[in-house]
Amino acid sequence: MSPLLEVTGLSKRFGGVRAVDGVDFRADQGEIVGVIGPNGAGKTTLFNVVTGFYPSDEGTMRFDGHSLNGLKPNQITRLGIARTFQAVRLFPAMTVLENAMVGQHARTRSGVLGAVLALGPTRREEEHIQAQAREMLAFFGDRLVGFREDQLASELAYADRRRLEIARAMATEPKLLLLDEPAAGMNPQEKKDLIQLIARLRDERGYSIVLIEHDMAVVSGISERVVALDYGRKIAEGTYEEVSSNERVIEAYLGKQK
Amino acid sequence: MAEQTAEREAPPPPPSAPRRRRLALPERIPVRGTILVILSIAIVLGVVIGTASTLRTGRFTGANWIDLVINGVARGSVYALIAMGYTLVYGILFMINFAHGEVFMAGAFTALFAAFALEEHGVLNSNPILSIGILFLVSMVTSMTVALLLERVAYRPLRGAPRLVPLITAIGASLFLQYTFRGLYSAQARAYPRINIMEGSWTMFGAAVARAQVVVILGALALMIGLYLFIARTRTGRSMRAVGEDKEIASLMGINVDRTIVTTFAIGGLLAGAAGILYVFLFNQVIFTMGFFAGIKAFTAAVLGGIGSIAGAAIGGVLLGVFEAVGPILFLTGAGIDSPNQLQPVVAFGILVLVLIFRPGGILGAPEEKRA
Amino acid sequence: MAEKVRTPTRRAVIIGVIAGVVGIYLAATGNILRFHTRNVLTTADGEGILQLSYTFLLLVILAAAYRAARGTSEQQPDPARRIGLGVLTGGVAGAVVALFVAAMKALIEGGLIVTEITPEIRAVLLDDILLFGRGLGAGSALLIGLGAALGAVAASVHLLDRNNRRPLMVGFVATLLVSLMEPLLRVIIEGLGVDTAWLYQSRGLTVTGAIIVFVVVAGLLTAWTRRGDLVRERVRQLPTQQRSVLRWSTIALFILFLLFLPSLAGLRVSEVLTTIGIYVLLGLGLNIVVGYAGLLDLGYVAFFAVGAYVTAILTFRSSFLVSESGVSVAQLDLGDKGFTNFWVALPIVVILAVIIGVLIGAPVLRLRGDYLAIVTLGFGEIIRVLVASDWLRPWLGGAQGIIAPDDIPPATLELRKPANLYFLILAAVLLAAFISYRLVDSRVGRAWAAMREDESVAEAMGISVIKYKLLAFAIGAGIASLGGAFFAVKIGSVFPNSFKLIVSINVLAVIILGGMGSIPGVIVGSIVLVGLPELLREFAEYRLLFYGAILVAIMIYKPEGLVPNKRRVRELHEVDEEEAQFAKRAGEDTAAPVVTAGGSDEK
Repeated sequence: MSPLLEVTGLSKRFGGVRAVDGVDFRADQGEIVGVIGPNGAGKTTLFNVVTGFYPSDEGTMRFDGHSLNGLKPNQITRLGIARTFQAVRLFPAMTVLENAMVGQHARTRSGVLGAVLALGPTRREEEHIQAQAREMLAFFGDRLVGFREDQLASELAYADRRRLEIARAMATEPKLLLLDEPAAGMNPQEKKDLIQLIARLRDERGYSIVLIEHDMAVVSGISERVVALDYGRKIAEGTYEEVSSNERVIEAYLGKQK
Repeated sequence: MAEQTAEREAPPPPPSAPRRRRLALPERIPVRGTILVILSIAIVLGVVIGTASTLRTGRFTGANWIDLVINGVARGSVYALIAMGYTLVYGILFMINFAHGEVFMAGAFTALFAAFALEEHGVLNSNPILSIGILFLVSMVTSMTVALLLERVAYRPLRGAPRLVPLITAIGASLFLQYTFRGLYSAQARAYPRINIMEGSWTMFGAAVARAQVVVILGALALMIGLYLFIARTRTGRSMRAVGEDKEIASLMGINVDRTIVTTFAIGGLLAGAAGILYVFLFNQVIFTMGFFAGIKAFTAAVLGGIGSIAGAAIGGVLLGVFEAVGPILFLTGAGIDSPNQLQPVVAFGILVLVLIFRPGGILGAPEEKRA
Repeated sequence: MAEKVRTPTRRAVIIGVIAGVVGIYLAATGNILRFHTRNVLTTADGEGILQLSYTFLLLVILAAAYRAARGTSEQQPDPARRIGLGVLTGGVAGAVVALFVAAMKALIEGGLIVTEITPEIRAVLLDDILLFGRGLGAGSALLIGLGAALGAVAASVHLLDRNNRRPLMVGFVATLLVSLMEPLLRVIIEGLGVDTAWLYQSRGLTVTGAIIVFVVVAGLLTAWTRRGDLVRERVRQLPTQQRSVLRWSTIALFILFLLFLPSLAGLRVSEVLTTIGIYVLLGLGLNIVVGYAGLLDLGYVAFFAVGAYVTAILTFRSSFLVSESGVSVAQLDLGDKGFTNFWVALPIVVILAVIIGVLIGAPVLRLRGDYLAIVTLGFGEIIRVLVASDWLRPWLGGAQGIIAPDDIPPATLELRKPANLYFLILAAVLLAAFISYRLVDSRVGRAWAAMREDESVAEAMGISVIKYKLLAFAIGAGIASLGGAFFAVKIGSVFPNSFKLIVSINVLAVIILGGMGSIPGVIVGSIVLVGLPELLREFAEYRLLFYGAILVAIMIYKPEGLVPNKRRVRELHEVDEEEAQFAKRAGEDTAAPVVTAGGSDEK
């Protein structure tokens, strides 16, 4: 089976710095891939290039039969890649429900005329958007439903903001979900919940998942394959056990041992 | 959370159905890019054809052009001096101090009354150097006071607010200041009394150059060099740069952020006040609306050079002045357009628009990197 | 960097000094001198008791002393102390003004202030008005004494409980307004066949009139405060559906009222109403651009100009289309006697404006907020300069503009009657308001809101940012061009000078005052900023000063506006976390809830 996302020889430079340097990377249908590496290794830049936030300098990206090169972020989202951000970025002054409803934008089409005249298709689509958004929120148990729906995103507790960000990404109906340090700032219990949650995202919703993570417990808990980056290059790839015992990876994290 | 969801026995919804995943063709055509290319081709063609046909008419001699260029450099120096205020404030607060033009107007307009008083007592022409000194002093102190009040009353309460909020405040402050000075000093344009030593001209480069223009260019140059040295060499200058980099870290390093910002406004105000008197040397007239156009041109100069950069503002100011003086005549006369100087404001605004579209970082800045 | 804790006394002195400086400001900008001939209060025979000039000073001192005596949330002074603080504030303010007078007199004596109006300043402003014609010594003493007395009055208002205080203050303000709106109200009341001599004399309220107005307003308000809570509570308890019925019927009633307004209010007011209507229309358009999509467009006037000029070119006999060769392009179509029918012109106007909006918008909409504002300003000015230039004069009329001659086509002529134009504008306003209302909670509105809050995340949600920015820009342009078309018909001429940057800023002020993103806000903003100055003609000259002050004050104290959109309240108060610690909230003590003896403060 051909991979869902396949990136070959990808490079991105900022001035003289090669943030991503000739990386090959792939994610298969239904797979959970962990991306690790020390700070500044180019992990988030990799996400930013794949999702179209930065143009790539070299290399090709293919997703689900389409080339991603030169596409804008909104087009890439419509092809089926959704992402979350390292520092949670919600729409703080919109309600929880509205945040999730924005996620449905990519999958709906009604425009000005339909909205102004309140045409039948538009009204039905609006109901559909709400239903979809509610379904995504319900995926997280009772944390984002009920009265919470009408709370502003900025009023949520930190862990719930993380959850809402994932729900919003789910509402774009992706095939591939890119999570950027989803466990950052969480306590051990929340991290355990997160591991289960990510597994459910794949099992119940059928997403393929790529996650950047620093917390090795989380990475080892769920990743089927781990890719390690350092200075923009891929230095190891394989199961968690293989990668974590790889000398170059240890060196990258601990520094050269003499 | 885990138990609750387990209880729900959620019927696994089908892996989200692939719907409408294809991109429509028009989305692959860069509309904006197309418009930009057409726009740039049209401008280049217009400028080249206009210039060629103007030069072919032979209506203007070399001396005419030198005249225009020096005129442009002189007014450009004034723009540059005002532009320092924009660039300094932007470099430190990342806000466009839209009311800075009014700071400039306040000084020039207030000094008018000092000039009246000096003339009344006959000092203006019996002791011109002292008088000019007094005019500079009055203008600079007034402008600085207005700049400081502006910072304290209008901007400080909004530090850290969403970006558009201080801009809207600045627009309001600009309007308020204009009409305050209209109320204070009247609505008509008013002429300064003559200062005899500023009249007449010297012969340079084979052309007669007005004394006032020479004084303006040299004065502005001296002030800008002074500013550059101040920023580069003094403790306060270093604090200003540090605050511009990162306010939080600067304050951890023991820099008083508030005082540094106040200093920045004060310096911008002093330079705008000085620019006010230089402007008067060139144009001899003040009116309460003069700050708006001067301000917008100075802002253009700052953007053209690369906002946040002092050298950039200087270069941008002079370039803009020359463009403005030479441009309409050079590009438009040949195209058969009557009274091309009417279109002078179009040059300034056109440059502003084009720089921001094509190279928002300005001449000395980097092309804007796409945001993350 | 916490605000230093100030003792109440120090605070009173500072507020007093500020009040004094405001008084000096009023005097120096010519307001005192100009308004000294305008009576606010007169005897029954029309002899002036209180002039507008003194009223200004009086209001400043009252407000300052009221504020100083209010105390802060931490410190609640006892009654005697309050009066003391008020007296102190008022006295200090008076002293500051007295110092100004002394300084001015000294400067004038020394020959340092040399202008053509110096003698007038000295004789009238300083001696007659500010020193009450009693010389420097006695005059200064009187200034300080009056200031202190006014301070005591203002401070004693705090001794009343809340339920009595409000009617008192509102009654006071209402009386003042009734006095200021004398030119208008007198005409209206006399138009109804009622004699006004008991109410107005020599341009001011009579004492009797003032007392009646005050008692009526304060009485009505007292009644409402007693019953109002009850009514509000009952509305709150209604089921959602009935509440929405109530809401819609309120709106319907309001529209009905608007329909009959011109016939009630007479010609002069109808004209003002059409002006307000045009601004409401412009405001609704800009509200979509700034309030919904978050794009600060300072070149908005360009689309207003496009609307007006295209209308003029298509429908005025004097335009080049019609007059140049004697053969009108418009004659080819449905035009009556050589003019394009206004109704045919209208869609052309709007479509053209939308196209221009897209052409201007496409290259610049990628720019960041403040740069976008400046670039649009640049475009607006470029268009104005081009329109005014000799170069385009054959087509656009240059600085002289295009003037509609007397032989106007019937359709347009009918429209030029204020009443007819009023209904047309009302229809357009309702349409624009309806479009805004429907859009804001739709998929499009959500896309705009998302974009406004975080552009790059919005893009990651599949929103084509450029497309939605252009959409907002185009809708705004279309609505503005409608306003321009009505404006051209109303005035009967178009001049470049009607389309200066200041129009964009006025419209911006309208939506900022009302509250960005709020439809009722646009209406309130237009009434306050456009309607009131039209009615209070004497202040026309100070209108722009006032606009400037409004923009600054609203942004600092109430960025969500007077009639806020629910969502905007938080959005605008949200402070960049990184910079939060550097943001000094100067408005803090104003924002703090006022704890009073009168019971809980609900709102």
